[in-house]
Amino acid sequence: MDSDMEISLDRLPIKRLESIEENGAEHFPSDVGYDDKRVSLIRRIDFAWALEEEDELKKKKQKKSSKDSSEQWKWKGMVENLQLAHQELSVIIDLIDTVQANDAVTVAGMTRPKPMPNEILSDLAVSTATKLQGYRNLGKYFKQSAKALEQKINREARFYGALIRLQRNWKVKRQRMLASNASNEGFTIDLSDSSLYDPTSGFRPSTLSTIRVDHDSAGMLAINVPQDSWYSLRFGFVGLNPIDNPNKSDEHIDSTTGQDIPGTSEMQSASDDKYVKETHSLLREVHKSIFAEQLFDMLNREAFNEGVGFNISGIRENFMEMSIGQGASLFVSLHPSGKNASIKKSDSATLLVESSGRIEPAEEGDSRLKKLGFPSRASYEIYLQQIFHENAFGKAKDQPKSKSIRVSNQTEKDSNSGLLDHFCLSLTHRIFSNRVLVHLESVVCKVPYLHLISHPTWNSRASSWTVFMTVPPSIIPQGNSETQSPDGKRNLKTQFRTKVVVKDDCISVEAECTPNVVGLLKSSSCNLFSMNKYECDVADLPVMILQQVASQIVCWLLEEARTVGTKASRDFLSLALEIVEGERVSLVAQVNPEDVKGCISWWLVMENGCTEEREGVSESRKLLGHLSLDVLYSVLMDLINLCGTGRNALERL
Amino acid sequence: MCMRFLCFPQRVVKVLELAGGVMEELASPSGPKKEFVNSHCREFMQSMKDIQVTLREEIKSACEYRPFEKCDYNARIANEICFQKLEYVLTQLDDLKQTADRYISFD
Repeated sequence: MDSDMEISLDRLPIKRLESIEENGAEHFPSDVGYDDKRVSLIRRIDFAWALEEEDELKKKKQKKSSKDSSEQWKWKGMVENLQLAHQELSVIIDLIDTVQANDAVTVAGMTRPKPMPNEILSDLAVSTATKLQGYRNLGKYFKQSAKALEQKINREARFYGALIRLQRNWKVKRQRMLASNASNEGFTIDLSDSSLYDPTSGFRPSTLSTIRVDHDSAGMLAINVPQDSWYSLRFGFVGLNPIDNPNKSDEHIDSTTGQDIPGTSEMQSASDDKYVKETHSLLREVHKSIFAEQLFDMLNREAFNEGVGFNISGIRENFMEMSIGQGASLFVSLHPSGKNASIKKSDSATLLVESSGRIEPAEEGDSRLKKLGFPSRASYEIYLQQIFHENAFGKAKDQPKSKSIRVSNQTEKDSNSGLLDHFCLSLTHRIFSNRVLVHLESVVCKVPYLHLISHPTWNSRASSWTVFMTVPPSIIPQGNSETQSPDGKRNLKTQFRTKVVVKDDCISVEAECTPNVVGLLKSSSCNLFSMNKYECDVADLPVMILQQVASQIVCWLLEEARTVGTKASRDFLSLALEIVEGERVSLVAQVNPEDVKGCISWWLVMENGCTEEREGVSESRKLLGHLSLDVLYSVLMDLINLCGTGRNALERL
Repeated sequence: MCMRFLCFPQRVVKVLELAGGVMEELASPSGPKKEFVNSHCREFMQSMKDIQVTLREEIKSACEYRPFEKCDYNARIANEICFQKLEYVLTQLDDLKQTADRYISFD
């Protein structure tokens, strides 16, 4: 070879960074295999010079051959080409053998050359810059997420804050299947009462019992209950209470809640507060409505049981009318609440005409009610709810409680029924006992020395009063009487009581010194003050009470007279004192409940025995009038004094 | 408003902000300030610990007390009835007071 040797320089085979990742991992090019290295080296050897020479040789020979033998054999050119190719190949093979032979003389190893300072720094700078870029991006990402999260929290805070407050009082449930719906995370408020879903009792869950929780336009919690879809229970007396007027205590509550509140955050939190309270009130109304529906349902069932205390006189949708005793007729209805409820008033007024024969104007106040003896409508509405709630709804838990309200004289019924009966009987009793009270009061008001005491009985079908009379103390000194008890004191009787007890519609009077029509045969004191119990009608009650009281006064006077030894006797309402043989003076009581000035008036009756002039017993009477007990007592004392004097004193009277 | 309810997510936001701050500080061209990074990291770790404690308590209490499980609204109805009774008694008392006032005015 004539050409100069050429030398090419390679880059040093140190590891150079190919790439770096975000997390700082560095990538280096993968190692090349040993054989691949040799092949790549071989490829880089330039055989151009050999080829050029061959070409020159070939061209010379061609010229020669073309001159020499044009008539030469035409395949000769091809043979020569092949020979040349063969030569090239042998050159290459020799070279490869040489390289292979020099294998043993290859470089044993090369030490990695020390990187120069600027190379170190530049590598470091590159990786550091990459890492810093990574940090910066990360920092930006964190801050962005923080901002986004804060916004989301603030937006959701109102909703979840309200939901948490409601959750303290109501069951909030979540259905995750609805979570895919963008506007609703699937929260519902469950108002149903699980203890009542007894398949045997057949209660159906109301459609109102699950309320969906939505977002309103401001992202705040909103619940949507359609107008007029919830009810309130109404109870009243037919003809007295209007069927449709809403109660005074009803508030018209918005059935849809939701509002946009612009403004500052304090305003917002205050209005959010108010807003949650409104929602809570709405939920309360709906919950009460569910209870009202269940109660009405139960009443309907009970209505078909035979009851002593009531007769159903009308049933239509959400309305039930029944007649109970004492001429009263009551209705129970489910009344739709909400803003539009009052509009329906005119429709139902016409229905009222159909159901009961008379139309009464709206409630005129308590005076009419009191006159009729009807108790307060509101109190019995509450009572109805209470007995049903305690006994029917709590039945699953407290079995024995349901028996405690059974009145003993009521026939035993199935534990499920009988509550409506009991309620109607209680109401009837209350009406009746109010009338009894009116009569008692009319008597007691007119007589100044009588007092009326009421006794609470804690039984809804029994009432009790006492008519109480205090008599003046005796002025007769001690030591003079038959009635002295062993311990030396007198049996002083200064108080007389007459007890009136009403059970259902049956009045019984219990008192001492009961007047007998037939005179007492024996006037011993033990019989005198014995307690008697007897029954009575309402109409007769005033007279009976007055007679009882008068009789007690007579007994008292009798006792006093006997104490001083006067011969005295009693006959019904009169006290007779024997003055002299055959002559008697009597104090006779006359009772008249209609008398305005005082119902008990007294007569003085003098009976003479047979005289020579006249036949039979003659009487002369003098009306003393209405006497107070003190005056009566002094009259008695005067009469007693008379008994000691002779006949002359009598003629002076 | 229920502040306790908001505190917890705000803490998470704060933690995120701290992390972002640390990263930015590390990325600052003049090199990170050691005290800054240290204090932020300390605060970060403390907040994480607080968050973890809070979460554990909440989870425990959520497991122990489940409102309205096995309970029904019976007591609520009883309360509503009591409320009606109270309203009624109040009207009665008002009537009594009116009556009493009438008598006083007669004297």
